[in-house]
Amino acid sequence: MNSELKLSDKSREFLDHLRLYLFSSGKHSDEIEEIVEELEVHLFEAEKNGKPIEKIIGKSPKEYMEMVSNEMATDYRSWIKTISLIVFGSFSFTIFSDLMKGDLSYSVLEIVGHLFIGAVFIAAIATGFKYISAANPSIKKQGLLVTAIMILPIALFVGLIYANRTIDTPVIHFGSTASLIIGGITALFIIGASFWAKTWILLIVVALLTLPDFLLGLTPLTHEAQLMISPWITFGGIGLYLWLSLSWSRKNGK
Amino acid sequence: MLVIITLVLQGIGEVKENLSTTQMLKGILDGCLLAIIKDKEVYGYELAEKLESYGFHSFSEGTIYPLLMRMQKEELVTTTLKKSTAGPRRKYYSLTPKGEAELEMFIERWNYLQTNVNRVLRHESNSEHPKGDETDE
Repeated sequence: MNSELKLSDKSREFLDHLRLYLFSSGKHSDEIEEIVEELEVHLFEAEKNGKPIEKIIGKSPKEYMEMVSNEMATDYRSWIKTISLIVFGSFSFTIFSDLMKGDLSYSVLEIVGHLFIGAVFIAAIATGFKYISAANPSIKKQGLLVTAIMILPIALFVGLIYANRTIDTPVIHFGSTASLIIGGITALFIIGASFWAKTWILLIVVALLTLPDFLLGLTPLTHEAQLMISPWITFGGIGLYLWLSLSWSRKNGK
Repeated sequence: MLVIITLVLQGIGEVKENLSTTQMLKGILDGCLLAIIKDKEVYGYELAEKLESYGFHSFSEGTIYPLLMRMQKEELVTTTLKKSTAGPRRKYYSLTPKGEAELEMFIERWNYLQTNVNRVLRHESNSEHPKGDETDE
């Protein structure tokens, strides 16, 4: 990426949208950078010669993005990686907080529902981002769409909890050894995923969600006091982490 | 008009299997790109400028990139990144032996098509036979 190239806002925005569109279409990231860089050079020279962006990409950016996308192979491997990261990531939250309460037991509906919600969430993100980058709706619409996508899994989880209460499906009970093994695998997965994604956010959020309840249970504090303190530690901790990593990345950016 | 279209389609059909009109146009642009690249190693913007200088004014310059991507996948062209004096890295395209063979084939196809179309046009416009349906236009 030639970040030093002076480009008009319109061209810069188009390139950002193209990158997002190709990314949500599951293309190889190095191929995305390659075509974006090539177009960036083209737009730079075209602007220097006073050509409008329409002369390069035509009247419909969406059609042009589709045209480029059609010539690129889909990167299924990293798609599967991202999907399993999201699905198992969301599993790990549940598994850890349940482990702190004792042995694991899940109904078939819970397991299937979990996988289903993960799939719906990923599909919603992919189509939502593709729509935003290609159709370029107003900021207000974009905000609404992103909020809707974020609320969707929460609503589905609430629905799943209700459904699980009313519909009887076979429940799988794990003994204490099996529970510990599952916990161990999940821990390894989180650490591995953190290394792979080069961010500790998953590990820190899981720890902050599960550990306060557990550690507070060891203290002589009353149950009410524990209930009061625990969310403060969780949200305070997450806030602190986000603030620290933001100022850290700003320092590195300079 | 129908006679021309039928003959043109027949002509292409003999060289290659039946092609739709859009595919035909795409193929022509492909051939032009190959011919320009064969002449001299070029980068994208240069390629678009050259096409325009030959009279292709109405096309969007960006359309060459999806075509170049496909040609690269089909190993008709190779690319090298070079730093320019102006700063940005440019991707230069050059022909592979396979690309040169493809260009030869395109020239052959094009000559065949051109000869037939010309023959039809000359014949149809010279002979002054009455035309039944000239309601359109």
